[in-house]
Amino acid sequence: MAQVPPIPIGPTAGGLPGATPDQLSIETTIQQERQLAKPGAKADELGGAPELGFWRLAVMRFLHHRTATGALIILGTIVLAALVYPIVTGNLYAIQDYRHPYKPPFASLQHLFGTDDLGRDELARLLRGARVSIEVGVLAVVGYLIIGGTLGALAGFYGGWLDNALMRFTDIIISAPFLLVVIAITAATGGVRLSTVIIVIAATGWYEIGRLMRAQFLVLREQEFVQAARALGASNSRIIVRHILPNALAPIIVSATLGVSGIILLEAALGFLGYSIPPPEPSWGNMLQEFEQYLLDDKAYLVIFPATALVITALCINLIGDGIRDALDPRQR
Amino acid sequence: MTFYLIRRVAIGIFLLFLMSAMFFTLTRVTPGAPISVGENPRIHQATITLRLHRLGLVDEQGNSYSIPQQYVLYLGALVHGDLGDSYVNNERVTTLLMQRLPNSILLLGAALLVALAIGIPLGIFAATRQYSKLDMTTSVVSYVGVSIPSFVLGLYLLLIFGVLLKQSPLHWGFPLFGMHTGGVDDPIDLLYHMVLPVTSLAILQIAIFSRFMRASMLEVLHQDYIRTARAKGLSIEKVNYKHALRNAILPIITLVAIAIPQIVNGAIITEGIFSWPGTGQLAFQAVVDRDYPVILGVVMLVAAGTVLFNLIADVAYAIADPRIRY
Repeated sequence: MAQVPPIPIGPTAGGLPGATPDQLSIETTIQQERQLAKPGAKADELGGAPELGFWRLAVMRFLHHRTATGALIILGTIVLAALVYPIVTGNLYAIQDYRHPYKPPFASLQHLFGTDDLGRDELARLLRGARVSIEVGVLAVVGYLIIGGTLGALAGFYGGWLDNALMRFTDIIISAPFLLVVIAITAATGGVRLSTVIIVIAATGWYEIGRLMRAQFLVLREQEFVQAARALGASNSRIIVRHILPNALAPIIVSATLGVSGIILLEAALGFLGYSIPPPEPSWGNMLQEFEQYLLDDKAYLVIFPATALVITALCINLIGDGIRDALDPRQR
Repeated sequence: MTFYLIRRVAIGIFLLFLMSAMFFTLTRVTPGAPISVGENPRIHQATITLRLHRLGLVDEQGNSYSIPQQYVLYLGALVHGDLGDSYVNNERVTTLLMQRLPNSILLLGAALLVALAIGIPLGIFAATRQYSKLDMTTSVVSYVGVSIPSFVLGLYLLLIFGVLLKQSPLHWGFPLFGMHTGGVDDPIDLLYHMVLPVTSLAILQIAIFSRFMRASMLEVLHQDYIRTARAKGLSIEKVNYKHALRNAILPIITLVAIAIPQIVNGAIITEGIFSWPGTGQLAFQAVVDRDYPVILGVVMLVAAGTVLFNLIADVAYAIADPRIRY
């Protein structure tokens, strides 16, 4: 009678790659399983090559992407500075010093980036503005994901009138001059509070993620694993959340990342036109608006700093988005 | 094909209808009565009623119409090509639009042409020399181009070419502000004034076009018939520019239609920065003044243009690519 090879059990079944399974391996794998159940036991300690999950591999691939990692570091620095600097300096961004307006940048350590027309510290204002941009970008993208993700998933899964309505709404938004519509709605809702801006952007911009989600669901719902899940008696909601959604996530994450930079630029454009958070609270957009006139003087640094901060942030986010795309789907490179 | 055309036009009209309903409601439920804008507070009630009646807001007796009634009136006028009266300028919206539209078409058309003329060859060269220095440079430039909004680019351009260059020993630079007095009669002067706004509008589209063209070209270059053509012994140039390019350039047609609302978005701010007397500037001023009929007019105009161009793009695509059947 031929020797039946032991059935490999457990996550690290088979031991080292290339190692021939022996008679003891059933016992060892059971042993390994017991050890794994113990808190604190690491897969590496078991001597076998740990099987890396999809997300861990993706993170590793991302970190090997040099440009993307660099962009992540720069963006991380900006975010960290925007979070920490106001805590350290308090309301420095609002303190006016009429004796020292228009102090040129890089002249003194006290005001590294100079001061503006009212003698306020430019660096503090820039970082305060970064908070506005980040806040709007992140919250509006969450809005995109909630609205677009839900509607797109339902439209893709069930089809029917919801699908039609989604596609028509997209057609309308795509053919309208988006910026003008956002301005008109923001102006119409009576105030230019930041919450209004976030809600308006989220309510009008979610269609891209909605469409992407729909496309993913349309493809995935026909696949065998969904049929298998259905055959096993899974409910529709379980299929959507547990089976299709994890598989549909990769392009959504990329699109959401790129969406953040789009939103930040849009918010800055709104601020530049005076339809985002109003002064004296600084945002990159309204700083550009306030100091546009100084472009013709020798005080152009008041324009260059917020403009450059905006471009660097958007560029970093776009690079990170591309890095994530490559990391999640290596075939696309 | 005929049936397809009829269906597409019907869908387009339906879309415009939906859109007008949406934005009409939006502009009517918002605060701000037209008469309160720049009006004498001691004005006679009968005059106010007369004006509101002309704006389609109240009937002869001064009883206000409900929003659906107002919308029906608006639609009725729209069928006759009448977009109503401006709240602020005491002018017809169509008149205002027609004054500004040629300027905008000039600016946006030039930006689109420049973007196509630079973006497409750039994408082709990047694709045929994949991973070369030119390819890398193109992709870096297109990354930066996508990340710079047109108004920031406009400010940079103003600073570099309008200010720094003039202060430099050259004493030369591009004019800062919109159309000069010469207008269309002085084409050289006009071109001179167009350089900066066109550049700031075109960069984003150059970035998009070149990226798209590169991807499209690469996809075609990896197909079997290209290998066959090479195997037959055709020269690289002939294969690239004759066999591959013809198929790769087709999707650009669709992209151009999508680019139009994007350029209009950019123009709303760019026209403001460069004082270009176009529709974008008009629209922005209208938003500031809460001049809703004008806002609605611009939105509808752009939407109609986009729907039309999408239709043209689809038809052109079908003509250019015989594989597509409707």
